[in-house]
Amino acid sequence: MAIIQTGQNRLLALFAKLSIALAAALLWQPLLAADWQSESENSQLNFAASFQNLPIDGRFNQFSVKYTTDQAALPVNLQVMVSVASADMGNMEFNDEIQALDWFNVADHSTAIFTSQQFEIVSQNKADADYIAHGKLQLKGIEQAVAVPFSWRQINHNQVAMNGELSLNRSDFGIGQGEWATGEQIGLAVRVWFDVRMLSGND
Amino acid sequence: MSLKNTTEQWGWLSKLFHWTTALVIFIQIPLGFYADSLKLSPFKLDIFVWHKSLGMLVLLLVIVRLLWRIKNTIPAAIPGTALEQLLAKLAQGAMYILMLALPLSGWLVSSAANFPVKLFWLIPLPAISGPDEALKSLASEVHEICVFALIIILVTHIGAALWHHLRLRDNALKRMWF
Repeated sequence: MAIIQTGQNRLLALFAKLSIALAAALLWQPLLAADWQSESENSQLNFAASFQNLPIDGRFNQFSVKYTTDQAALPVNLQVMVSVASADMGNMEFNDEIQALDWFNVADHSTAIFTSQQFEIVSQNKADADYIAHGKLQLKGIEQAVAVPFSWRQINHNQVAMNGELSLNRSDFGIGQGEWATGEQIGLAVRVWFDVRMLSGND
Repeated sequence: MSLKNTTEQWGWLSKLFHWTTALVIFIQIPLGFYADSLKLSPFKLDIFVWHKSLGMLVLLLVIVRLLWRIKNTIPAAIPGTALEQLLAKLAQGAMYILMLALPLSGWLVSSAANFPVKLFWLIPLPAISGPDEALKSLASEVHEICVFALIIILVTHIGAALWHHLRLRDNALKRMWF
């Protein structure tokens, strides 16, 4: 009886050790080449236009971020697709207005795309890092070089928080034309900031 | 002419409040309808900055005016029937309520519409609500109902003042004049 019990205990102990080792391996495994995808429920892409130098906040309700890391967990590709028609400025009149020709011209250019394959490492600490993505933003049919600074913070092995902020000049993309072009009332600088939850495809 | 009111006469500060508010309201009402009728343009936004600036000025004036009124003697009622005096009191009360309700509902429309504004291009007006489409519609309705109510009461108010002055030849208008 005693011998069997000891055997059982040994088996349990071995099992416990294996579990710990397995958990540790899962927790500490280096990040492999991975594809990341934004999780829309936990992601926000905001912008702030301005009137009389006071901010008018808005957001894009539909957008997606795709991100690829190599075996060293460094970014190799970033693609952001934004449904321009989903722009929401908290007011139906604004939302209708900004779809028009003078503003986003949604009828002809419904999607804005940012792509980057060139990443500058600003700082790095294990899996967390701050980068600047040098890429191209295609908006309202106009392509411009844009640098997007962002932070990459691991929440767990397959979830990451991606945050950043930049300023765009709306006149670079012909947004706000005709009598709106001067920027006297509606400022030319538009602040854009994002808080995106990225999920890893490989689990 | 005294600063304070007497039982016979309005004091000059009360008169100043009355006539400046009257002047601003006479600009404000057509300006509001005009702004509303315009197609969205930078000009429309400018007109709305004026409308909001003057509206907040009315709100400020009315609050100070009410405080001054509370602390002051009110000239005796002009002789008339009990019904006339009651109607005069009701109209006066309604005008005070509307002079508060109009700027407040307008402020709410502006806030719920997520529209910031610098009064007279100088003073940022804080928002009293977040963006809210339903609240914006409700406040717009209230604003509109209030302005029509104010127009009706103002017509009555001016008509009554002229009636007193020209027909009854009493000092109802004179005691508010300089």
